[in-house]
Amino acid sequence: MKSTQYSEKTLEHFRNPRNVGTLEGPNVAVGRVGNPVCGDMMDIYIKVTDDDRIEDIKFQTFGCGSAVATSSMITELVVGMQLDEALKVSRGDVADALDGLPPIKMHCSNLAADALHEAIKNWRAGVKPEDATTTPVEKSCHPRPAAVVEVEIANLDDYEGKGVFKELKAPSELADQRVVVLDSGDRAAQAAIDLTDHTGRVVLMTTGKEPSVSSAMRSALRLSDVKVLAEAQPLELRGEGELERILVHDLNEDEEYELTADAFVVLK
Amino acid sequence: MAATDTFADIVYGDYQSSKPVDPRVVEAMLPYFGRTFGNAASLHGVGDAATAALEDARARVARFIGADPAEIVFTSGATEANNLALIGYAQRNRHKGDHIVITEAEHISILNIAKYLEKSGFRVTRLPIDLYGRVSAKKLRARITDDTILVSVGWASNEIGTIQPIAEIAELLAGTGIVLHSDAVAAEGLVPIDVSQVPIGLMSLSSNDIYGPRGLGALYVRKGVAVAPVLLGGGQERGIRSGTEDLAAIAGMAAAADIMAAEMPADVARIKAIRDRLVERVLAEIPDSHLNGHPIERLPNNAHFRFEAVEGEAMVLSLRDADVAASTGSACSSKTLEPSHTLISCGLLHEEAHGSLEFTFGRFSKDDDVDRIMAVLPGVIARLRELSPLYEKEPA
Repeated sequence: MKSTQYSEKTLEHFRNPRNVGTLEGPNVAVGRVGNPVCGDMMDIYIKVTDDDRIEDIKFQTFGCGSAVATSSMITELVVGMQLDEALKVSRGDVADALDGLPPIKMHCSNLAADALHEAIKNWRAGVKPEDATTTPVEKSCHPRPAAVVEVEIANLDDYEGKGVFKELKAPSELADQRVVVLDSGDRAAQAAIDLTDHTGRVVLMTTGKEPSVSSAMRSALRLSDVKVLAEAQPLELRGEGELERILVHDLNEDEEYELTADAFVVLK
Repeated sequence: MAATDTFADIVYGDYQSSKPVDPRVVEAMLPYFGRTFGNAASLHGVGDAATAALEDARARVARFIGADPAEIVFTSGATEANNLALIGYAQRNRHKGDHIVITEAEHISILNIAKYLEKSGFRVTRLPIDLYGRVSAKKLRARITDDTILVSVGWASNEIGTIQPIAEIAELLAGTGIVLHSDAVAAEGLVPIDVSQVPIGLMSLSSNDIYGPRGLGALYVRKGVAVAPVLLGGGQERGIRSGTEDLAAIAGMAAAADIMAAEMPADVARIKAIRDRLVERVLAEIPDSHLNGHPIERLPNNAHFRFEAVEGEAMVLSLRDADVAASTGSACSSKTLEPSHTLISCGLLHEEAHGSLEFTFGRFSKDDDVDRIMAVLPGVIARLRELSPLYEKEPA
């Protein structure tokens, strides 16, 4: 079955999603599941009455047709329900309510029930919405245990002059290259911004949730074409004679992946 | 029954995945379902007529790419041509070495054939691509060994449209004994291909990609390059590809090649103007949009975009509701749930590759297609960003 062979009901919810948005106030909790890396991420907001009833519910979703439709459907299913009752609503119930989902979409995009359960869990644990949307996402699309985090980057010295730059004398040398700049404060961020005059691809990689820069620099970064890659720990440099790929530990997902790069700037 | 009628109501922007058969090609095929139905192997008059038609078609397809008729082997499509080129050449020439080089920008048919060859004991190196999807002769040179027998580089990417420096690579390999194969499916009919000018050993073609019928392709096999058959049987196509030739389809491909040879310059100029206008308007009118692939060295019909904080399948579905057909490299639309390998190799992060949207134009694209796309696309992106927790509005 093609991934796009959705039921009419699924398509209808995708076209006209119910309860899109966010909620605020003292009686609100949020559940966030998924990850943009996997192609789906959703936030479900619930407003709970004193007698444990879901008085209002909203969602925001990044993802494919079924990700949007399942989010929309679950908000309709559980509004007005007691929390205990809502916890019993499963992924299968959501899929059934949509007249089924293509098999390939069942586990990957049907995260709405998980997001709701997460919201209820956060409500009961007293987790505030602003904390719930920044805490690490638990669901992973490709769970793979990552290696122990070491600040030491393997092969860094081997690639010096072959893609590794410990100082940046002439940014124009890196024209049209995929450049990764390791976060070390405002100087590195400024170097990254300067490089965008010469190449369309500049990544500022930081192990933190945000680069360790001043607030002025943060605004400058946001306005620039620099792609900030947060919670990423470079582990090892790879390539045939010159730098071609950086092995990265995704600290949020706890998994490893290779990022294609021609230049790695690690300012002293 | 003009092919253009098919698109009266919709904007078809997915020529890379399938093209309509030109009505003139259909016309040229019809006699082979009737009077000229023979088997080219038969000795009687009906068979002779078939042989004459087959060889006439072969000569016309050969002329389209600057080849000798004896260098054309008809197959059931480009996938089979790729199988015959890589598996057939590797097996026939194993005594010379066991190393094959492909690129990270190849079509999935080449990637999967390479995996099969690895299981069969060959070593495969995957050549990296740059930011724009191009390979470099320099990086290729560093990977060639004494055991290398075959290098396969697609003429252009069907996905991001980047054109490879084939002539430069062919030049590098000339005289080394290493054969160059190119899957030219994405490029045929869009850029000039002349094997009398480029020293290439093997090249895969598809009939549908020049507006001929589906289910037919061809492998160009330069004189002196030996391949073992992959399909065994009655020894048709000089023993390289068994199976009675599909004469109607072959006549169709020949007609398609003739039409393309005559009309390509005007066709391409018109298609490129449509594509250029779309790229210009999207980048100017839709915030946080990017063009993937090479800015200049790209197929004239290809526009491949990336939109921040939206997912590709959701875009394609929304456009479908507005009668616009497009495609995406997002994982959510693929069978494997992996995003496009080409975009990842270009250096995009997974979450960026999910936001890709591809338009490809062709012979029956209309001048107002861009206006019709732009009447809906900005709204589609805006709506999905409204839904998305990832989209940060531009700071005031």
